[in-house]
Amino acid sequence: MDAIRFTWMFAIPLLSSPAIYLAGRLGIHNPNQKGRPNLVRILALLAVIATWVPYIAAVRTFLSGERLEFAVESIWLRADAISLLLALMVLSLGTLVVIFSWSYMADEVGEEKFYAMLLAMMGLMIGLGCASDLFNLWVWFEGMAVSSYLLVAFYREQPASLEAGVKYLVQSATGSVLVLMGIALVLANSGSLDLAALHQNGARWASDHRLVSLAAAGLFIIGFGVKAALVPLHTWLPDAHSQAPSGIRAMLSGVVIEAGLIAMLRALSAIMHPLDWRIILLSFGALNMVFGNLVALRQTILKRMLAYSSLSHIGYILLGIGVSLFAGGEAAAQGAMFHLFTHMLMKGLAFLAAGALIYALYLQNGSHHALLVSDLAGTAQKYPMVALSLSIAVLGLGGLPPLAGFMSKWQIFVGGFSTQNGWIIALMVFMALNSVLSLGYYAPLVNLMYRKTPSDAILAGKPLPSTITLPLIFLAMAVVVLGLAPGLMDWLTAPAAKALLGLFGN
Amino acid sequence: MAGTLSVLLIGLPWLGALLVWLSGDARPKILHILAVGTSVSAGLLSLILLAFAGSQPAVNFKFGGWFGDFTLVADGLGATLAAVACVVGSLAVIYSVDYMQGEAQLRRYYAFILLFIGAMTGLVLSGNLFFTFFFWEITALCSYALISYYNDDPKAVSGGMKALIITQVGGVGLLAGALAAFSNLGSFQIADLLKGATSIPAGLLAFIAYGFLLAAAAKSAQFPFHTWLPDAMEAPTPVSALIHAATMVNAGVYLLARFYPAFAQVPGWTLAVTLVGMLSALTAGLMALTATDLKRALAYSTVSQLGYMVYAIGVGGVFASQFHLLNHAVFKALLFLSAGAVIHSVGTRDMRKMGGLGSKMPFIRNVFIIGALALAGVPIFNGFWSKEFILEAGLKQGPVWAFGFMLFGAGLTAFYTIRMTWLVFYGQPREQLHVHDSGLAMKISTGLLATGALTTWLLAGPLSGLMSGSLPYHAIEPISTINLVMDVLTGAGTWLALIILLVGAGLWVVVQRSPNPIPQAHWFTELMGTFHEELVSSSFGFEWLNQQVVAAVKKSAAVLQKTQTGELNWNILGIIIALLAVLVMLFWGV
Repeated sequence: MDAIRFTWMFAIPLLSSPAIYLAGRLGIHNPNQKGRPNLVRILALLAVIATWVPYIAAVRTFLSGERLEFAVESIWLRADAISLLLALMVLSLGTLVVIFSWSYMADEVGEEKFYAMLLAMMGLMIGLGCASDLFNLWVWFEGMAVSSYLLVAFYREQPASLEAGVKYLVQSATGSVLVLMGIALVLANSGSLDLAALHQNGARWASDHRLVSLAAAGLFIIGFGVKAALVPLHTWLPDAHSQAPSGIRAMLSGVVIEAGLIAMLRALSAIMHPLDWRIILLSFGALNMVFGNLVALRQTILKRMLAYSSLSHIGYILLGIGVSLFAGGEAAAQGAMFHLFTHMLMKGLAFLAAGALIYALYLQNGSHHALLVSDLAGTAQKYPMVALSLSIAVLGLGGLPPLAGFMSKWQIFVGGFSTQNGWIIALMVFMALNSVLSLGYYAPLVNLMYRKTPSDAILAGKPLPSTITLPLIFLAMAVVVLGLAPGLMDWLTAPAAKALLGLFGN
Repeated sequence: MAGTLSVLLIGLPWLGALLVWLSGDARPKILHILAVGTSVSAGLLSLILLAFAGSQPAVNFKFGGWFGDFTLVADGLGATLAAVACVVGSLAVIYSVDYMQGEAQLRRYYAFILLFIGAMTGLVLSGNLFFTFFFWEITALCSYALISYYNDDPKAVSGGMKALIITQVGGVGLLAGALAAFSNLGSFQIADLLKGATSIPAGLLAFIAYGFLLAAAAKSAQFPFHTWLPDAMEAPTPVSALIHAATMVNAGVYLLARFYPAFAQVPGWTLAVTLVGMLSALTAGLMALTATDLKRALAYSTVSQLGYMVYAIGVGGVFASQFHLLNHAVFKALLFLSAGAVIHSVGTRDMRKMGGLGSKMPFIRNVFIIGALALAGVPIFNGFWSKEFILEAGLKQGPVWAFGFMLFGAGLTAFYTIRMTWLVFYGQPREQLHVHDSGLAMKISTGLLATGALTTWLLAGPLSGLMSGSLPYHAIEPISTINLVMDVLTGAGTWLALIILLVGAGLWVVVQRSPNPIPQAHWFTELMGTFHEELVSSSFGFEWLNQQVVAAVKKSAAVLQKTQTGELNWNILGIIIALLAVLVMLFWGV
């Protein structure tokens, strides 16, 4: 098997990105012109579909036990199970977002930029998963960040959108600088950037340069932590999540912050034994959970509520990872990996469903007004599919069976209790209580949507095209199916958990 | 056979739920037919399952991963409770055909009722703790959806929320207990826990035992979690019957009964269970005494009767508790459904506005009285036998003081039951209420239940045989119905209880004859005075406690939200502070 083949899974999106942009600029002079096939969308859809081919091939190779690696000079690209999991998340949600945006972005000026940046961001994230040295990890990470700034500030006529973009840019850049300083420290003291090599020499290196390695670890945790939305570094996120176009919100919450987390773990694995920072990870986990849930309780704008709920879900994932590093248990690691995936499905669904309503209630009526929670009243009367899928999404996020979120949280709990450590068990009970607390804002949403008296916004809503409801149906079914048969993802989450533990030499 | 039946008992209602949901709201007739069809067939199948009950897993399916094997065990306990859920559930569904006639969004109603029934059978048949928890959580979801079914009404919405949050907090106890058991035994099978309980370290076993007690108390609305059940009365009445008789609240009692053999040795556990049961029986009895809302009065009486069952488990009378559970399910469903017929007819739940309705709805009056006599524990109705059996067990095996309080509770029950019946059906009509007689479906379901309230006690013998034969860890002695009858009739407790009951009933007669018979101001309530205002209406202060917790959460959320200034400078400062904090932690070697 050709070693290079798996690299097509990020090469295709990256190459198609400029092509889409050019096709858009050259082909469509008047975006409002009706009746002409829209080349931009078709190209974007073809590109994401084409990307599945090398992905599936890569998975087959991976399952057959072969290694997926490829070198350009001394730079290695390696796809392990974590890379494949991240790629699957990016591709699944990306494909659905492209379909969702078919009508959603149809009337926007600069549609070609949207698709070009979306594809670029997808390619860069998949690439990020495959980087095997610190510098390249940082380059992919920066690339992903840059493409996402532009997407967050896509509505460039909207002051709020620009504000969110600037905040995101400045905070994210702060994080990047810290990461870069950390890389510099590592390189200056070890002469190497290769993650695996660093990890192998880790014990010796860390004892020789203890202060340097600790400082670098701190810089990595905070630097990547900005993107991974650790509290209190998360402050860009609610603005960015509420101002970006709906598809992008789904991507940001469903995969971008998770990609930041994966980058952080990879970087840390190179320089430190997890014993030194697992407490930090667990503390951030606990803080993220309780902060995200409490602040979400107070939100009146749906997108911001969902954004804060993402914080708490990052918290659950951090706890899962922290617990597995604490005790070496595979259950918690697998739970965390599974929760990465189910959270992508559920949060992606929640944001897309909210986006569908924004499209029908506001955008189609020529307004950029934020979707309020109170607007949801009576959604089921007019948009039964949206109401059902948003209900499935939020109840899944709240951890109710038979939905996917229940299963992934359960795995994390199994891992936590298996440690038989009093503190960890207390943390798990705290997590369970947090999950109950989150129902305090999820459940009323469902209630509102099934009211008999619709809100004024719903009454004035326009019909929804099928390209918008189709991704919702697909995601909702996935959430239910994984809630009834969680084993369906074991083929990937189990090796990903092993790979995670392997990174840290556990 | 048992395997197929067990799967069908979960699958049929769930399939019904799916079909109902897919049918849409446009043709309600199809919804009625689908709901009645699937629930009644599940009810019939559940009766057949009783014949095939056994202690071995009827279904064993490798679920893989961190979930253990999916097993269904149709033993005496599981099969009986599944039958209660399906049969009483299907009667509530039949009744709904009349009650919910013309309501909007009927598919949401039926879909969740069917989901509820299926989840309840799954909960009691599951032989795997993970799936017990799985179904447990689904019942919480269903109760939430159904309690706030009239979700344009803020009271219904907050009632549903309260039920959801309180039972979910309790659910954490089940989750923690199940996982703690797994961490020691490496298995989620309930049989393994019952078998291996003695090998679990004492501390861990106590953690599991008290976790389960917490879960059970929250689910069965026992002290101190009894505050959610009265607010759940905003639900449509058939749902109240379902929650109170067929599903939901039985789950807590089931959990305690199921794991009694494993936890009986845990220090203080049986005493704690006894206390929880006793306090629930008493406090709820007092609350029922002063309630003016018909459904609330019934709700309080449910808490009180569940208290008897929990008490029975506490003193080791597992069979007595399950026998009472069966009888209670029948007479409480009967009471709710006939109360629902009254409410449906007159359009109010306030007993102060009713009165003299008996002559206008004779059928409903008659079946309600049968239910009321069973609740009060009057011979020969079913509630009499099981309650006396519980009291016998309490006298023989439990602390005497607890028995004394339970005896007092029996008097309370008689008093409030007679009061309730009188206020609704007798005396002078206090307001001009338009009354119409109930429909056929209502009469069928209440009629069947009334027959049950007269006869289910005859099942005591077969039921005990079933349980003793299929529950290897519970050590239940089979007792024939005749022996049970003799036991009860020759027991000192029975005669004491009957005297107390007569005193309770007599007290009502005195109240009724007192110069000021207006119920909201009768001397008994006046006697209680502030006691009622300050304590009873706030569920003995626990309502206040709930509100304090909610207020504290809301306040901390408000404080935290203030930290989200949205100003870039503060945001960057946050990053820098976090960096410093992390560096300090790293250098300190935390």
